[in-house]
Amino acid sequence: MLVFAASDKGGTGRSVTSANLAYQRALAGDDVCYVDFDFGSPTAAAVFDVPGELGIDEGGLHTYLEAGTGEPARVDIWAHTLHPVLRNRPNGSGRLVLLPGDASGGEFATDQDTLRRCVDLLLRLNSEFDVIIVDLSAGRSYAMDMVLEATAQPELRSVEARWLVFHRWTRQHVLAASGLVFGEHGILNGAAAGLHDKDTLRQSIRFVRAAVPDPESALWSQVSPAQSVWMQRCDDYLRQLASDRKIGDSVVLGTVPLEPVLQWREQLITEEDVLSTQIANKETLEALEELARKLTDDAHWGQP
Amino acid sequence: MGTLGRTRPTTLACGEVRTCLLPTSQALDLRAAGHVLRLRADERVLASERPNLYALSPDTLMGVDCALPASNGAKVRAVGTVVARAALTEGRVLQAGSFFRVPDTGPDQRQPWGHYLVRPGVVEPLGKLPAQAVAEGLLKGGRPGELDPGLIAEGLLTRLLRHPLLDQKSPFKSRRTRLRWVALPVPDGHGPSIDFTVAEDDLRTVRLGIPEGTDQTAVVRLCEDLALHDWLLTTLVRMLDGSRFGSADGPMAVLALRPAVDHLMHLWMPRARVDRKLSALWEALEERPGFSRQWHTLVQRIRDQMALQAIPLLREALTAR
Ligand SMILES: Nc1ncnc2c1ncn2[C@@H]1O[C@H](COP(=O)(O)OP(=O)(O)O)[C@@H](O)[C@H]1O
Ligand SMILES: [Mg+2]
Repeated sequence: MLVFAASDKGGTGRSVTSANLAYQRALAGDDVCYVDFDFGSPTAAAVFDVPGELGIDEGGLHTYLEAGTGEPARVDIWAHTLHPVLRNRPNGSGRLVLLPGDASGGEFATDQDTLRRCVDLLLRLNSEFDVIIVDLSAGRSYAMDMVLEATAQPELRSVEARWLVFHRWTRQHVLAASGLVFGEHGILNGAAAGLHDKDTLRQSIRFVRAAVPDPESALWSQVSPAQSVWMQRCDDYLRQLASDRKIGDSVVLGTVPLEPVLQWREQLITEEDVLSTQIANKETLEALEELARKLTDDAHWGQP
Repeated sequence: MGTLGRTRPTTLACGEVRTCLLPTSQALDLRAAGHVLRLRADERVLASERPNLYALSPDTLMGVDCALPASNGAKVRAVGTVVARAALTEGRVLQAGSFFRVPDTGPDQRQPWGHYLVRPGVVEPLGKLPAQAVAEGLLKGGRPGELDPGLIAEGLLTRLLRHPLLDQKSPFKSRRTRLRWVALPVPDGHGPSIDFTVAEDDLRTVRLGIPEGTDQTAVVRLCEDLALHDWLLTTLVRMLDGSRFGSADGPMAVLALRPAVDHLMHLWMPRARVDRKLSALWEALEERPGFSRQWHTLVQRIRDQMALQAIPLLREALTAR
C-alpha cells in the first residue's frame, strides 16, 4: 500500500507524524518503507536518528530520479539508528527502511524519464513492502504532481494508494488544507484533473490534525477560567470551520495532540518515552498507535 | 554462445543474476511468458514444459567500453558486448541476468565496433588482463563508471517488470536477491570447484573453478539455477521467520503460510537444467550448506503447522455433529 503524506504548509507536523506512523506500522509487523520526497527539506534521517541529518551526500532519491543511478540508497533504520531504544529491534516487528533524499537536492521539474523512474521505484517498493509512506514537499509541489501522475500510470493503477493531508489546528491551516484538496488548483481539481477518477481519489484522501491542543488536557489545567472558555470557543469554531470546508470529522483519520516532546525535538515517540522516562504523554502515543491502525484498516477508507 | 570472430582463450567469465517474484496474482502460462520475455522481435522465446515450466528470453547484447573493476586498483579498460537475458520459472519466478567473458589478452588498441560485434558476450581488455584482481573486483562491486553486470541485469529486470501483462498484484511481499559470479579456469586435471557466499542480506557471491573447455552457457545456466534456488530458500526462510508468522496466532499463521504452499513449494527442482558435467558443483552445495536439506525441513515445518491448525477445525466439525 502506498501512503502519500501531504500538507499545504510547511511545519504542519507531516514529516514527524508520518515517520511515527512508519515506526508504528513496523512495530505492528508490517514491512515498512519511508520515502523522503520532501525535496525542500529532507529531514527524515534526523527523525529516525540515523546518520545524514540533512540527507545523504550522493545516491539519494534526487540522484536516482534526476540522473538515474541504478537504485536509490537505502538505510535500514533498525540497524543504523543511534536511538538507544530503536537499536533493539523488537521481536515480531517488520522491516523499517528509509530512502533518504540528497543533501544538496531541492525541488526539480519532472520530465518523462523522471516519471518513469518514479513509477519503477514505486512498483519495486510495492513488491517488497506492506506499507510505503511517501513524504511529499509542502503545497502543490513537483513531488506531488509527480506522484499523482505516477499513480495514474497503468502499471500503478491496481496498487492501493492512500493520501494523508496534515494540518495544524488553526484557522489558516484548516483553510489551507481544505484548499490543497478541494481548491481550484487543489489535488482534485487541478493536479489530478484528467488523470484520476475524482470520486475514487477523493475517497482515498483523509486528513490528520497534528499538534492539536486539547482544552481539556492537563497541559492547560492552570489557565484562568476566561482563557479556558476562550480556548473551548476557538475549538468549537474550528470544528465548524473544518466541517464547512469539507474536512470535518468524517474524513479525519486521526488527531495527534500537541506534544511537548515534539515541540522540542523532531523524533519518534516510543513506549519508553511514555512508560519509563515519562517525558512524553500517553495520549500522544495512543493517538499515533490508533492512527497507524486506521491507516491500514479498510473500514476507515472509501466513502466516508 | 557461438563465437564467430577469433578470440583468445577465456580466462574469466562473470555475471550477475537478479531474481524476484513475478508481480502477478496468477502464475503466467507459457504463452503469456513468451510475450513478457520477447526482448527481440526477431527471435523466439525458448519454452519448455519438462521437468517444469520454463521460458527463456533471447539474448540481447549491450556494447560496453569502460574500465573493469580490479581489487588491486589496476586500470583495465575493456571493450566488447555483454549479454543480458531473462528467464521465468513456472510462470512465477523472474530472473534477469547479464554475463560476459574476458580473454587473457586483447588488442592493444581499441578496434572498430565490427570487431566486437562478431564476438557476442566477449569483453576484451586493452592489453593483458589481471584476471585474479578483476575477478575479486567484480565480486566486490566496482566504483561508479566501472563495468557493472548488476546494473545491466537491473535495467533489464526493471524493464520487464513494467510489462502490461503483469497486474502488479503479487500474492505476497518478497525481496529480490542478487547473485554475482565469476568463473576462472582450474589447472589441467582438476575438477570443477565452487565457493558460495552469502555476502550481504540479499547479495550472494559465487566463485567457480571451471575446467578448460566447459561450455559457457552451461556455467550461466548453473548460476541461474543456483540463484533461483537460493531465492526460493531465502524467501521461504523469511516467510517463516517473518514477523507475521512469529507473532501470529493459529488461523493467522495458516493465512501467512498459504502463499508458500500456493506459489513456492512446488518450485524446488535443483539441477533441472544444469549440464551433467557441472552437477558435481550442486552436489557440493547439497553437502554444505545443504540447500535441499534446509528446504525440505522448512517445507515439513509448514506442513506441520498447517496440519496442526486443522485440528481445531476438525474438532469443531466433530462436536457440531
Ligand atoms: N504533535 C505535535 N506536537 C507538538 N509539536 C509537533 C507535533 N508534531 C510535530 N511537531 C513539531 O512541529 C514541527 C514541524 O513538524 P514537521 O513534521 O517537520 O512538519 P512538516 O513536515 O509539515 O514541515 C517540528 O518541530 C515537529 O517536531
Ligand atoms: Mg517536513
